[in-house]
Amino acid sequence: MNEDQARLVGRVLGTVDSTPLEFWVALEPGRSLQLDDVVATVRRPPGGEPVSVYGIVSQVRARYEGARFDSDVFLIEDGVLPGEVCEAAQITTTRVEPEVFIPPLPGAAVMRAEGKDRDQALFFDGMDKRLPAGVSRSGEPVFLNLEFLDGTRGAHVNISGISGVATKTTYATFLLYSLFNSGVLGAEALNTKALIFNVKGEDLLFLDHPNIQLTGQDEDRYRSLGMPPGPFASAAFYAPPRTGDRNAAPDVSSRSRGVTSFFWTIEEFCHDELLPFLFADAEDDRQHYTMVVFNVAAQLRHATPIGEGGVNIEGEEVRTFRELVEVITSKVQEGNEWAGPAIGLGTINAFIRRLYGTIRPLERLIRGDIPDAPGHRVRLEKQVTVVDLHNLPDRAKRFVVGVVIRKTFEEKERSGRARPLLFLVLDELNKYAPKEGSSPIKEILLDVAERGRSLGIILVGAQQTASQVEDRIVGQSSIRVVGRLDSAEAERGQYGFLKGAVRDRATILKPGSMMVSQPEIPVPLLVEFPFPAWASRPSEAGANPAAMDEPEDPFEGLPSS
Amino acid sequence: MRFAIETWAPEYGAATDHELPETGATVDAEIERDLDGWAPIAPPSLDPPPERILFTDGVRRVDAQVWIEDGAASCPGICATFAAGAVLCDGRAEVVSAEVRRGLFTAAPQAEAIRCRHVSYPVRSAPSGDPDVLSLALQQRMGELEITLAAAHDAPLVIVDGPLRGRQSVPGAVGYIKTHHVSYLQGAQEQVVAALGPGQRTPVFLMMSSWSRFSWYLRLPGSIGHPWAGVVRCEASADHETSDVIALADAVAAALPRFSSKPHKDPRAPQNLYPIAGLERELRRRLGDAALLYRDLRVAAA
Repeated sequence: MNEDQARLVGRVLGTVDSTPLEFWVALEPGRSLQLDDVVATVRRPPGGEPVSVYGIVSQVRARYEGARFDSDVFLIEDGVLPGEVCEAAQITTTRVEPEVFIPPLPGAAVMRAEGKDRDQALFFDGMDKRLPAGVSRSGEPVFLNLEFLDGTRGAHVNISGISGVATKTTYATFLLYSLFNSGVLGAEALNTKALIFNVKGEDLLFLDHPNIQLTGQDEDRYRSLGMPPGPFASAAFYAPPRTGDRNAAPDVSSRSRGVTSFFWTIEEFCHDELLPFLFADAEDDRQHYTMVVFNVAAQLRHATPIGEGGVNIEGEEVRTFRELVEVITSKVQEGNEWAGPAIGLGTINAFIRRLYGTIRPLERLIRGDIPDAPGHRVRLEKQVTVVDLHNLPDRAKRFVVGVVIRKTFEEKERSGRARPLLFLVLDELNKYAPKEGSSPIKEILLDVAERGRSLGIILVGAQQTASQVEDRIVGQSSIRVVGRLDSAEAERGQYGFLKGAVRDRATILKPGSMMVSQPEIPVPLLVEFPFPAWASRPSEAGANPAAMDEPEDPFEGLPSS
Repeated sequence: MRFAIETWAPEYGAATDHELPETGATVDAEIERDLDGWAPIAPPSLDPPPERILFTDGVRRVDAQVWIEDGAASCPGICATFAAGAVLCDGRAEVVSAEVRRGLFTAAPQAEAIRCRHVSYPVRSAPSGDPDVLSLALQQRMGELEITLAAAHDAPLVIVDGPLRGRQSVPGAVGYIKTHHVSYLQGAQEQVVAALGPGQRTPVFLMMSSWSRFSWYLRLPGSIGHPWAGVVRCEASADHETSDVIALADAVAAALPRFSSKPHKDPRAPQNLYPIAGLERELRRRLGDAALLYRDLRVAAA
């Protein structure tokens, strides 16, 4: 048997129309194709050069030939009626080379595409920089074209899927690992940074620990993708301070070392005009007090720093957020200077009510009572920076996300260079950039989505349902990924790139499997990504020499008296 | 060779049934039972039931009627496709052989094979140009093909669709006749046929006409709408010993009810057995597309 015969899987069938973009193949007895397998066939037009048609299996079916009624199956199984099983596969064309769009002819031999053929079929051959994105069902690597991620020809990733089953964050983390460790970024990998907002559990607080549950088989999968398995080499972790803790110890339960608490000083809050980020709910957008917010923010700029993050506002010393709220309240009630001209009493009262509502969620994040405030600023010094939000109330989450992204964006804008890249991983996009309304955070995210490509800020956004996220943000993403989708959600227009059977399959995807769509390949590819090589919970965490280092201040967290 | 294609559709004028009734047959009904003992016989419960049953069938189709030109005169002929095959039921029903042949059936001495774009029709001579004779020649060729195929498989029981005539030589062959133009039994014996219950058979009798064979009636399961509903007649070679033919009749009566069809699936239920219906569909499929071949023939004639 020569090689061609071994790879022959079937022939183009002639009972269903064969078109340049889609055709059916009857399988040779004893051969099989599964969804996502890659095949190739050749058409030799008279007088022209041979046209190679590559495609991917988008549906497979088997039926009894000879059966006319559904119940004939019992007769056939009973040995009474003759019937033959015939399997057929629907092929969706991915590539026609050269681009002569003619249908493969019925009867044409269809081969399984392997090696170079498979690379051709999936455009991997033309990718100068290939980012491993997982492995296919048959265990072969699947790549993304980095040019569609790094801003050269496109940018941003958007991931959708049901919480808990879709493994969105894990996949986003895997992509980062791949970026940093597969060598696709070259020397730039060292300076490339990633900022991850951790919204659920303390899953991401162990990125720098090896995963002791990783099996040898998993390790081989990493190696087959061209990267060594292991934890993230350089990572910093930030968590909000514990409520009521006078030393602002980080509010995490599973990790005691290597986590820094983060907060903003009253001084920063006043001078950087962070007040609007307190009013970032969809509901705030509809209120009249937006004017008051901006007037007050402008007034706060005049506050005088008094050291350790505190300020003096027109003679009153402010060290806590509660004090700040009280000062603002008395100022806006005093007259028009703070509230702004022609603002009604009702509007002022609404503003005050809202402002008081922010005390509880934000008290611990905006303060002027800690001596080493600069040490608690979120800084992107390590390769990966994780900002933990998971135990913050929604209002505080929005504040943190909004302020951190704005600051990062401004810094990147100031640097004026797109390289090295900064990857921004944010789950629950629907909270920060909902379809309806506008808010300061949505504006900043839109800025990232629309200008990030040239600034070198790449948004890796995720949400349960893309239909609830601002279309311009989802639409700007070159790479679309879906994990398991809710079936009603899968029908929505946002998932137009999933066609036919692919869409149905998205509703039954298992954890660890994603459909990845990229601009060059006309069909989404199913990928499985290897089990994380880094720990995602304390029980998985192996020893990490870096995290075992002595903290800078061995007495940190102890009463200072 | 110049020839023309009859522009009428091929079905016109083709004789449809060639199992012409033989009215002159004499019957010896006292082979298994004496005349007074005639009564329905229930099949013995054979354990295990007969395995390895071969069903054979053939199909034929006139693709076109042709006129072969011979100077000023024309000689008629038919271009036909015929096929025969066999289904072996041995736990699974499987089409074990199926062959397709084509032919130009004619009496014209100067006839040559007709080659078309997709197929060709070799000459198969017939004794005369009479439509019935041509049709019978086609029928014979099909029957010969059927015998060849049936003989190639080793099965203890071979159910041949139609009369056994010409196929007695196949070991274990039983002719299976679904339609009854003539009643071969008279009086009380005929009443026994009407009295058959589902699965029951009549005693074996010997039929003698131009050829001799054993025969018996068998009622297949199904609703009994009229006295002859679901009744088939089986034929076995007259070369059998009497005891052998009785055993054969019992085996057939035990085996066939399982294969009988249901009315919603087959208009000829229950007599048209499932394996034969399946085989017939498969064979018809293999005959090729009639419209395509008709067009080919007209192109070849032009």
